[in-house]
Amino acid sequence: MDSITTGVSSKEQPNVTTILKESTILQMDRSATLRANIKRFYIYIVLVLIVLVFSLMKLDQVTFFERGHFLSPDSIINLLRSAVPILTLSGAFTLLMISGYIDLSVGSAMSLAAVVFAWLILNGFSFLPAFVITLILGAILGSLNGYLVMKLRITPVIATLVTLSLFKGIALLIVPDGSSAIKGSAEKVMPAWINDYARKDVLLGLPWAFWVAVLVILLLVIVQRKTLLGKYATAIGGNRIAADLSGINAVRIVGLLYVMVGFFAALAGMARASYMSLGDPLSGDGMELDCIIAVLLGGTAFSGGEGSVAKTVVGALIIICVTIGLMTVIPAYWQTMAKGGVLVAAVTLNHLLVREKAKA
Amino acid sequence: METSQMQKPLLGGKLSDESFITVFMVGVLIVVFGIACIFVPNFYKPQNMLNLITNNWYIIVLGIGITFVMITGNYDMSVGGNIALTGVLSVYFCQGVNVSQNPLANGLGLPYILAIGLALLCAMGVGAVNAFFIAKLKVPSIIVTLGTMMLARGAAQVITQGAQRNTSLPDAFGVLGSLGIPGTSIRLPVLVMIALIILAFIFEKKTVFARRIYLIGANPVAARLSGVNVGGYLTALYIVSGLLAGITGILLASEFEAGVSNRAMGYEFDALVIVLLGGISITGGFGSVLGMFVGAIILSVVTSAATGMLFSPDWQFTLKAIVTFIAILTQRFALDKRKG
Amino acid sequence: MQPTENVLEIRDLVKDFPGVRAVDNVSFDIKRNTVHCLVGENGAGKSTLIKILTGVYDRTSGRILLNGEEYNPRNPRDAKQQGMSTLFQELNVVDQLTVEENLTLGMEDTTFGFTRKTDKINRMVGVLNSIEPSIKPRQLVSSLSVAQKQIVEISRAVAAESDIIIMDEPTAAISESEIARLFNIIKGLREKNVTVIYISHRLDEIFELGDYVTVLRDGKHIETKPVAEIQDRSELIKMMIGKTVFEQYTPREIDCPDTILEVKHLSNHRLNDISFDVSAGEIVGFYGLVGAGKTELARAIYGADNYEGEIVFKGQKLRPSPEKAIAAGIALVPEERRSQGLFTILTIRGNVPVMNMAKISRKGFINDATERKVTSEYVDKLKIATNSVEKEASKLSGGNQQKVVLSKCLFADADLLMLDEPTRGIDVGAKSEIYNLIRQLSREGKTIIIFSSELPEVMNICDSIYLMYDGNLKSTMRNGCDVNSESILHIVTGGE
Repeated sequence: MDSITTGVSSKEQPNVTTILKESTILQMDRSATLRANIKRFYIYIVLVLIVLVFSLMKLDQVTFFERGHFLSPDSIINLLRSAVPILTLSGAFTLLMISGYIDLSVGSAMSLAAVVFAWLILNGFSFLPAFVITLILGAILGSLNGYLVMKLRITPVIATLVTLSLFKGIALLIVPDGSSAIKGSAEKVMPAWINDYARKDVLLGLPWAFWVAVLVILLLVIVQRKTLLGKYATAIGGNRIAADLSGINAVRIVGLLYVMVGFFAALAGMARASYMSLGDPLSGDGMELDCIIAVLLGGTAFSGGEGSVAKTVVGALIIICVTIGLMTVIPAYWQTMAKGGVLVAAVTLNHLLVREKAKA
Repeated sequence: METSQMQKPLLGGKLSDESFITVFMVGVLIVVFGIACIFVPNFYKPQNMLNLITNNWYIIVLGIGITFVMITGNYDMSVGGNIALTGVLSVYFCQGVNVSQNPLANGLGLPYILAIGLALLCAMGVGAVNAFFIAKLKVPSIIVTLGTMMLARGAAQVITQGAQRNTSLPDAFGVLGSLGIPGTSIRLPVLVMIALIILAFIFEKKTVFARRIYLIGANPVAARLSGVNVGGYLTALYIVSGLLAGITGILLASEFEAGVSNRAMGYEFDALVIVLLGGISITGGFGSVLGMFVGAIILSVVTSAATGMLFSPDWQFTLKAIVTFIAILTQRFALDKRKG
Repeated sequence: MQPTENVLEIRDLVKDFPGVRAVDNVSFDIKRNTVHCLVGENGAGKSTLIKILTGVYDRTSGRILLNGEEYNPRNPRDAKQQGMSTLFQELNVVDQLTVEENLTLGMEDTTFGFTRKTDKINRMVGVLNSIEPSIKPRQLVSSLSVAQKQIVEISRAVAAESDIIIMDEPTAAISESEIARLFNIIKGLREKNVTVIYISHRLDEIFELGDYVTVLRDGKHIETKPVAEIQDRSELIKMMIGKTVFEQYTPREIDCPDTILEVKHLSNHRLNDISFDVSAGEIVGFYGLVGAGKTELARAIYGADNYEGEIVFKGQKLRPSPEKAIAAGIALVPEERRSQGLFTILTIRGNVPVMNMAKISRKGFINDATERKVTSEYVDKLKIATNSVEKEASKLSGGNQQKVVLSKCLFADADLLMLDEPTRGIDVGAKSEIYNLIRQLSREGKTIIIFSSELPEVMNICDSIYLMYDGNLKSTMRNGCDVNSESILHIVTGGE
């Protein structure tokens, strides 16, 4: 009996401290909300700021924009057209990173797809069959990554770095000796319609490739928010043990995400090939870094579990603005350094916003 | 329980797993070399065998740094860009002042020794930036070093305006790269590589510093609780890796008497490949410089045999990828077999 | 189907580990829709029993009947599907998903891969509402407190129609007001057709919550009876300790009464304003139950965790870093030996000297011969069973791995040796070896602090006993004949 009473009295006492604690919690809550709001909106602010800065710059000696204005309709269309590959690809890349995995081979997969697509068209395939075959190829490349990582359990970074080399190597092998890309020549003419997909105006001055990319983004936003795949990707990246205990088959889910990344890399590669009217085996080089920058700017955690396809898209637009905006003000040889700088800045921003929360 | 765990490993009982993998890869090397000798004419000639090592001195020098970084469970992808940057800087620092209308011919006019020293400092600076993000901010090393790879490469491109600098250089500039043992193909860079390998081997086997690197890779938590300053050691390693890239960059620039912004493209990948071929594991705490050296020779045999068999140079990417996958999987298979 | 009266029946259950019988012929029943408490000291076999029930371990022999049918789970997931859910101490919710998404995780209804709003979700949310209406289904789980996360997990188990929910120390990491809330929920579970197996070291909780209590001691079943039939804590405590006669502690004079360690107002996330002194040459024991903050205190003194306050060692203020602590002469044998103390992929020789490399090296170069020699010395001294110092640590048995970690810390030549749960998971013989070693070190002038949740251990070898409860230092006493195990247990289980 004695013990029970002490038990009760010891329970009453802390109530005072609890109240105190709750008031401090409220204060902490306020700063946490502020931080959460910054985290929620900063990416849009960054995008607007960048656009503003470039719009206010004097762009006289510029070649990229016909009228020399960053915000003229022509410039915007140009900008969006060149954003097609990263828009197409970064959504699936985000889902993969949310699940805590990475694919560094996307650039090479893109190049390989571009080369194969151009080769098929050059050799008499009409658009649709070439398109479908290339997409299937992309899915196969993705499933190879998935197999290496999930079944053979090779560390994702290493497996996909090696397939990066593999895909690039195959792309280079397809291109005939003495030529730098698959393109029309005296004997074989590249059909002019290869251009249609990525250049011909179908709606609002923008080509098919752009609208397909928009469709892909919408699709993947829905996949992330409304489907089991999106939810399971979050669960796997967020708490692997909980996911396993709940009966989620991580091998299958992440494997599927790798296939998707390969598939959309192929789609992006075809847009690039169509835009350039040739299959360049180096056309996708560095795409993995663009994707990482977009994903990090979008606030996805390195360790997985958190992230948003929609915000990655904004991140992708930021990179394109920066790359193209910088092209208009500084010589091209600043590009690499600028991109490296953006990546390091994105890492730092991501650290400040995502990590802080993890600590709290 | 006790007795069943006493049983010896099935293969190579007395060896540690590390030595076992090295010996295993030496076996692979012999087999690969044998096959190459059968199919490629003159492959067995001493001069060719010597070339297999000397032509790859730069990858092996880089591999030393990467080996230790990877033993701690991290990556360093910035070495290729760092080579380009250091090479370009070593040129820029000692080019004459205001000698020409061409901006790429004008430099800072420093004495060569000072130019080298400063360039090496910059190379170590890149390593220090890596270390800051990895050890302090705990950002995954792959992402950080891919970023600094671009920063370093980009800086080299800015300084050379996307091309190269090769005029108005002092006479001393080309000396380092052209010195050598008369009558042989062995030049100073190769001797530097041999010296560094020997140093690294002694370092790995004998020093407290190296022992702590293994501790960090084997179990970072326990390493910290055992009094190892994990951040400090990672910082030192990345700076050394930067320094090795810097030395490579300076030697290459001297050899070609030019600072080229696109020098060493993809070297970071080659260095990673030879380290993987050498059996070093990214899960940490496992691997040796000797293994990396063997890995480098295997890669060299495979690529030069492929060239000898009239494969086009375009094959190199595919070949490296396939060889690496085979190596990773056979090493794992061999270790599993050994453990029974 | 007529539900059986007993939801779970355990018959002659045995679990052997190498050298130890952790569960020894245990048989008892658990009545349906009750809260059944499981108590016992550390090493009594509770956690082993739970791990068998949840499918983590296979039993050596014996039978378990769930709802009158053979129950033999292959893994935790299988156990869950058969109706045995567990609230693990590491919570298994996904922070980044909402409450609703967590409730349905792995059990969603879908059309073409789209998650669908169905009655199932409504039902699950309904269960959550009936348990805790303040948790909103659309809330992110990361915004919930630990207790609220537990409630989400409980709801998930209830909604999945689990027969039994096992709760392993659920109150260890939550505040008093939340505990009250959790208890109301647990009491309400009886009406929801759920049986709770409740494990706790806080005895008050058992009187407040439990319908039945089962006491285990040394792997054996001691008693199962209704809580109402137990008079008070001391009766329970007697059942837990049994008639074990402690090895007699002989009070001794400390030769050197100088203070070697002063801890002043130490606080951090798990510690609350702790101050104490330790004299040189003393053996001090910190006793408290799981979650009392002992490990956190050890880590703070060692500099492995951040803290506010001051720690003075040999007159010098310590800077918080293990590196500095070792340099100053402090060594810690961590609680999680394998994951925090051992380098499993390295050899014994690679492990033993790591905390004092200076001793085997000169100017940064290791002397192999010295290294081999000292390692062999420790292998002999601590009787590590191996044929060579070149054996990989992962290939040693658990007990020998512990000895390697201990050698490592002894080799550090520290003046102050801290041991966190020094005898956890090792058999009786090895235990007394370690006690003798500790006494011998003390005679050699070393100061030793033991952090333990085993009372006999503390009463057996410590000169001073410091009691901890919920992050606070509750009481300090000199060991001797007037020290009473029942009053100690009273304090560390939350009594005043």
